[in-house]
Amino acid sequence: MPVPQQLAKGDRMGRGPYEKSGLIEDTGLPPGKLVKERFDIMYPLEEVEVNGKTVEKPSAYDLDIEVKLTYLPFGTPNSDPFVWKEFVKTVSISKSGK
Amino acid sequence: MNRLKVQGSLAAVLLLGVLALPAFAGKAGIGWQDTIAAKSGKAKTLAELARMYDSSSCAECHEEQHKQSQESIHARSIFGTARTAMTIMTTIENGLMEEPYSGVKSPKDVKVEHLMGCAKCHLPQLADAEDSVAQELVATLYGWKEARVKKDKETAKKLEAKLKSVGINCLVCHNRNAITHKWQDGYPKAGVVYGSKNGDHPSDKFPKMAASPIMDQAIQCGQCHGLGPNLELDEPTQCCTSYGSYLWAYKAEVGQENCQDCHMKNSKLGHNIQGYRDPAMTDKAVEFKAEAFGYHWRDGAQIRPKAVVKVEMVNRAGHSIPDG
Repeated sequence: MPVPQQLAKGDRMGRGPYEKSGLIEDTGLPPGKLVKERFDIMYPLEEVEVNGKTVEKPSAYDLDIEVKLTYLPFGTPNSDPFVWKEFVKTVSISKSGK
Repeated sequence: MNRLKVQGSLAAVLLLGVLALPAFAGKAGIGWQDTIAAKSGKAKTLAELARMYDSSSCAECHEEQHKQSQESIHARSIFGTARTAMTIMTTIENGLMEEPYSGVKSPKDVKVEHLMGCAKCHLPQLADAEDSVAQELVATLYGWKEARVKKDKETAKKLEAKLKSVGINCLVCHNRNAITHKWQDGYPKAGVVYGSKNGDHPSDKFPKMAASPIMDQAIQCGQCHGLGPNLELDEPTQCCTSYGSYLWAYKAEVGQENCQDCHMKNSKLGHNIQGYRDPAMTDKAVEFKAEAFGYHWRDGAQIRPKAVVKVEMVNRAGHSIPDG
């Protein structure tokens, strides 16, 4: 979203419409431009004993991934969200190997 | 006796002079005297302002368009989703009352000029009203808020209806704001409804129709969905800047469609002009592609499995998303 500069000066973000007069940055999607986002999500690990040694192993091998493109005019994602696009996939990793 | 008669005539002339004082005395252009506001004189009450721009008769023939427009948030532009009403009060308290030179110490000091920062878009016809209307509007907003706190549903509903009695209706777009360049194209006249054609219009109140030079142009919407802070105001402000984004980010580099193409025609919503709440708009607004995969990532000797999620988005709207 356009991050308004308070009264068009300095490094503070404006709060209400009465303070919005400049622009610090725009984090929105610009028209016609490809925007890429990448998320790296680590699998949860747990400590287990293997052959008398403590090692870290994934506590889950399947992750349910949910990506939502949400338009949030105000408040929090729980208060007044408008979910525009959604992607759901279970991502699995192998349980055996070196 | 003669002397008394003379005094009576002078009094009558003075009175007439006061009544005929134009609402926009001193305007430089030619023809502003024919506008709705100049002919009506400034509204003194909210009800008068509602009557001045009453477009209920439009529904007699343009039933579908009228019905569509009522579904759009334009029809309740002062109340909005209730958030607009609340934000106007926040603007009074955290804006006007905290600004040392605004002249506003309490909501009772608010005049039309103070509200125009909001009303230039949410109720542009407020400029055609006396300060008493600004006060009535402020009292209604606070009355509504108080009734909600007290859980007085009946009063809250009544005041909500009053706030919804004025808004961006047919006459705001098809008359008052139908011409932007008034010295070139003339001032919008009372009795004329502006659209795409010239000719007679079968209505007692609006017997003529005329082609608006901007009705199918982005600037029609840009009057409110602005460029940036309105620097001509004593206290510059502007919420929505999508017309600026349209001009400099979309039109300059991406495409040639205008607001009406997407929000009215392609969406098939007509006068039910919608944005982020309606799937007809949002389905087309952004191309969205996502993929996800997992693998055993190694950091030196440590194995840290991870999932990678890649998302690609292309905004197909004619402005940045979201716009603030």
